[in-house]
Amino acid sequence: MKLSLNWIKQYVDLPADLTMAKLSYDLTMSTVEVEGAVSLSDNLAGLVIGRILTVEPHPDADKLRICTVDVGDPAPSTIVCGGVNLAPAQLVVVAKPGAWVKWHGEGDPVEIKPAKLRGVMSFGMICASGEIGLGELFPASEHAEIMDVSEFDAKPGTPVAEALGLDDIILEIDNKSMTNRPDLWGHYGMARELAAIYKCPLKPIEPAELPACADGLEVVIEDSERCPRYLGLVIRNIKNVPSPFELRSMLWRVGSRPINLPVDITNYLMFATGEPTHAFDSQHVGGRIRVRRAAPGEKLELLDGELLDLTEEDLVIANETKPMALAGIMGGKLDSILPETTDVILEIANFEALGIRRSSQRFDVRTEGSARWEKGIDPQRVDITAAMAVKMFREAFPEAVISGCVDNYPKQLECAKVEVSLDFLRKRLGREISAEEVKEILSPLGFKTEAKDGLLLVEAPSWRSTGDISLPDDILEEAARLMGYENFEFSPPTVLLDKAVNQRLPDMERALREYLAFRCGMQEIFTYPWIEDEYISASGAETEEMLELSTPPAPNEARLRSTLVPGLLKAVVTNLRYFTDFRIFELTQVFFDRNYSSISGTDELLPEMARRLGAAFVGSDARALFREAKGTLEYMHRAVQMEPLSFEQREKPAWGDEKLWVNVIRGGEIIGALALVSPRCAKAAGIKRSLALIFELDVEKLVPLPSRQNVFSHLPAYPLADFDLSIVFDENVRWEEIEAIARKAELVRDVKFIDEYRGAQIGAGKKSVTFRTWVGSDKGTLTSEQIENVSKQVVKKIGKKFGGDVRGAQ
Amino acid sequence: MAAAAGGINMRENERTNEPQNGDGGLLERLEMIKEAGLEKIAKSTLPEQLQLVRANLLGRKGELTDILKSVGQAAPELRKVLGQAANEVKQILGDAVERRGSELLENLSAFEGEADISVPGVEPFQGGLHPVTQMCYDLNDAFRSLGFEIFSEPEITSEKFAFDNLNFAPEHPARESMDTYWLKGHDEERGAKRLCLRPHLTGASVRYLREHGAPARFVYPGRVYRNETTDARHERAFFQYEALIVDKDFSFASGMVLIRTILEKVFGHEVDVRMRVGFFPFVEPGFEIDMKCQVCGGEGCRVCKHVGWIEVMPGGTPHPNVLRAAGLDPAVWSGFYINIGLDRLVMMRYGVDDVRLFHSADLRFLKQFK
Repeated sequence: MKLSLNWIKQYVDLPADLTMAKLSYDLTMSTVEVEGAVSLSDNLAGLVIGRILTVEPHPDADKLRICTVDVGDPAPSTIVCGGVNLAPAQLVVVAKPGAWVKWHGEGDPVEIKPAKLRGVMSFGMICASGEIGLGELFPASEHAEIMDVSEFDAKPGTPVAEALGLDDIILEIDNKSMTNRPDLWGHYGMARELAAIYKCPLKPIEPAELPACADGLEVVIEDSERCPRYLGLVIRNIKNVPSPFELRSMLWRVGSRPINLPVDITNYLMFATGEPTHAFDSQHVGGRIRVRRAAPGEKLELLDGELLDLTEEDLVIANETKPMALAGIMGGKLDSILPETTDVILEIANFEALGIRRSSQRFDVRTEGSARWEKGIDPQRVDITAAMAVKMFREAFPEAVISGCVDNYPKQLECAKVEVSLDFLRKRLGREISAEEVKEILSPLGFKTEAKDGLLLVEAPSWRSTGDISLPDDILEEAARLMGYENFEFSPPTVLLDKAVNQRLPDMERALREYLAFRCGMQEIFTYPWIEDEYISASGAETEEMLELSTPPAPNEARLRSTLVPGLLKAVVTNLRYFTDFRIFELTQVFFDRNYSSISGTDELLPEMARRLGAAFVGSDARALFREAKGTLEYMHRAVQMEPLSFEQREKPAWGDEKLWVNVIRGGEIIGALALVSPRCAKAAGIKRSLALIFELDVEKLVPLPSRQNVFSHLPAYPLADFDLSIVFDENVRWEEIEAIARKAELVRDVKFIDEYRGAQIGAGKKSVTFRTWVGSDKGTLTSEQIENVSKQVVKKIGKKFGGDVRGAQ
Repeated sequence: MAAAAGGINMRENERTNEPQNGDGGLLERLEMIKEAGLEKIAKSTLPEQLQLVRANLLGRKGELTDILKSVGQAAPELRKVLGQAANEVKQILGDAVERRGSELLENLSAFEGEADISVPGVEPFQGGLHPVTQMCYDLNDAFRSLGFEIFSEPEITSEKFAFDNLNFAPEHPARESMDTYWLKGHDEERGAKRLCLRPHLTGASVRYLREHGAPARFVYPGRVYRNETTDARHERAFFQYEALIVDKDFSFASGMVLIRTILEKVFGHEVDVRMRVGFFPFVEPGFEIDMKCQVCGGEGCRVCKHVGWIEVMPGGTPHPNVLRAAGLDPAVWSGFYINIGLDRLVMMRYGVDDVRLFHSADLRFLKQFK
């Protein structure tokens, strides 16, 4: 919202030494956020009034004229100009050479320099209104029209801002910072706030004498919930004429386009008091205004030409036959101020916030009026608005007669009353405060305060009683913000040291992430919880139990993930554009449309949600990827301090390869899967040229240990010896079988897989497995003979088991 | 070196005082072997070469060994003198070899060929945490050190917890589907039956308080969701960090501890902050918290739009209605909330200029934060 400082100053005498920076700062700290302050005269710096002396044609250009212009200098300036409306004696705006002009009042200033235009030197420039940011205030009827300011009584050479009375500062307030303050949406309300901040008096708005008779007007409020008050003023003998410059100028400053005098007055009233008003052509009203709900099928053409199909939820201002306005939002085109209008009914009413908000949303029609009503305006504000209206119409139309008034206000709004104890204020403020101080702080804002035995009875003004103020905490805030938040010293809170924080689950999740990132060299990623249907279908995930968003980010992103696999597939595809070999993981929540339960002891029922860990390993060697991924899971429990995992093939995941897959088991239960992405899934997801291996685990099925449980083993009394064996097996022989046999040999303490090899010299369908065996004894150091015997024994056992197919034993 | 050489000379002088006897020139040979040996030792430049010199002099077939063997054949009266002299030379040469050996070792390189030290190092096999996770853990560490618990609620919540409990007006715009992601099939009813992806973290505070009661101090970081049009500054899924203290007679001025903890952790030093009036339904009084612009130090610059301060987080005392929803008596309990955008903190920390990168899963981006 834009505020004119000059306008505010009509209502309050601010301290003389108050700088703009200080005002912006104080208002920001205590009331609303000032986003910026613009000085209009700064924007018009370098521009002066000039009087055209002569206008001659340009010898070499049909569209240019050569003017001599008095710009206040001893000698007139020659200026070449393409304006179509140039005329001797005309007052114009001139940018002189050397002047720095901000074009359109924006951007960096540009220096005006003498320049040759088609062979003729031009010393400066005669400006069009649009070129200096005044297009809306001085609308040009055609493109090449320069700005004619002959109506102003100004000497050549006078700065334009001074000549046009635009010596003002415009404050830009962040609307979001005042949604809770309906009283601040007009200059008078903001003046009140500044009066309180600077402890200077607010000028009262003198009440006006309203006509005692109705002059034939009747107002029927059919829905007093939605319209608590309706004051109609009958004003006769006005004219639809343009507003005088001063009025247009004030509206322009706050960003409102001037229209015509009667309409501009209604807009001015809104920017002054914050209360939107509307004027109807009295002829069209026909004597009776009905404030009612629209009937089904009724239509209304708004001022902006939009035709609405009204609903019974919409409140309208109607005459006896049809709606004339969408209440509080916008007037109708047919019945508002028309070119021929002479008599008007001025509506100064009060509308309830919610209804306005809903209608405004229904039709997506948002206006200055609806924005204000939505905040909740007090019905009492009708009084000052009416007073100001009477004064303005009388001044604007001296011949007009304010002939009638109807004020329909069935139920007065009661002002909010709050009881607050001084003790409460003291504790929460963290400092001493007296009843007198509270009273002194609050009274400029319109609060009435009575003290009684340490209790304060505070009555809020009507303009703060529409929901804004209702609790002792609200009074606390009012006091604190006007005392100045900067004036409160930080006091460190004291704490009770009763126990240390011990949270296994969050700690385990962190340990998991750090294990994968720092020990396994994987990169953590985040993906969206909604996933494209393509990737869901590629993953083969069931969709029946997936939750969906009502208004998804995209039509194919409605489903919420119940598995991390689709997101991983997408991330793999994304990164394959730049990398061929990488490791990624994500630990987050998945959702299911099932098993609804209450988690916070209320009637709320939330769907099943689980935390999952998913990882993808991308490369070219499936066996190597498998071993790496499996190793990541096998060694996880030590780093993460949790119960170990084991592996079994029980249920192949939908995205898993026919052969290379395994389930992750904990406590006998499947808690996840590890598999090469199947060719079908890879093709559907768009994974090309590389292989991806994925695992996904249910993190909530991992069991963190209460403490470290690594067990110490004694160092062997006699050193262990080791030997490696490389043995050729049929491909179908599994390592776990080999290992089991090797372990059965006497004196064997440990057996570890080292490597496997396939190649031409071994033959198709065969593999050479290398493993290391540790042997030792408690009785003494083994001799090389003893070691040799174990080695032979192992080879023999393996040979026996696998049918003499043992070759190449070393 | 000088002292050692002097020592040898002294002995030589002693020996030149010996009477010249019929020793078959052995003493002279000894002297020659010594002189020649010392020279060869001094001229050895490689350990292998020195070893060879040593073997030729002192080895089993060395010159000196020969002489020592022939001492037995000398006249008995000479044996002692000769033996003594030969052993002396052996000693001198042995010492010289050892000294030269140490010298050579001192200057020896184990490296063959030219050393190009500008060759880059090999990158350790390393992954990394998402920069948002890193920031979150940094803050968790800071708050843990102050005795805060870490809490999280599920990402799907109800209108009751996302809005009703938090004193949002029944018609608050955030409740609209254009702002919040409501779930299909759960969006017809109101309150506890209307489900959505959580639009903020604050609802979790009521869950924690209902479970644990007061006094309480905890943080609850996480991801939240808004139905928004995305651009470099706006995301539909983003991360927040929220902290809450609830205690008796807690003054809002004490809430500053939360703000300081966060900013000090992020920036590595104390940061000037100011609290100014702000309106949020779930707090009363509510604050906008600004920090002094770290770019210009408060002088005013483009980053802070020339005001010297940057809005970093909202905060405030829990609204009495929120405390009631949490089962706490607002006459007894108060406290302080702060909520800060984790994405924004990360963007400030690293100068990231597009919030959408955080969910891109793009390793070219993520790998930068190892």
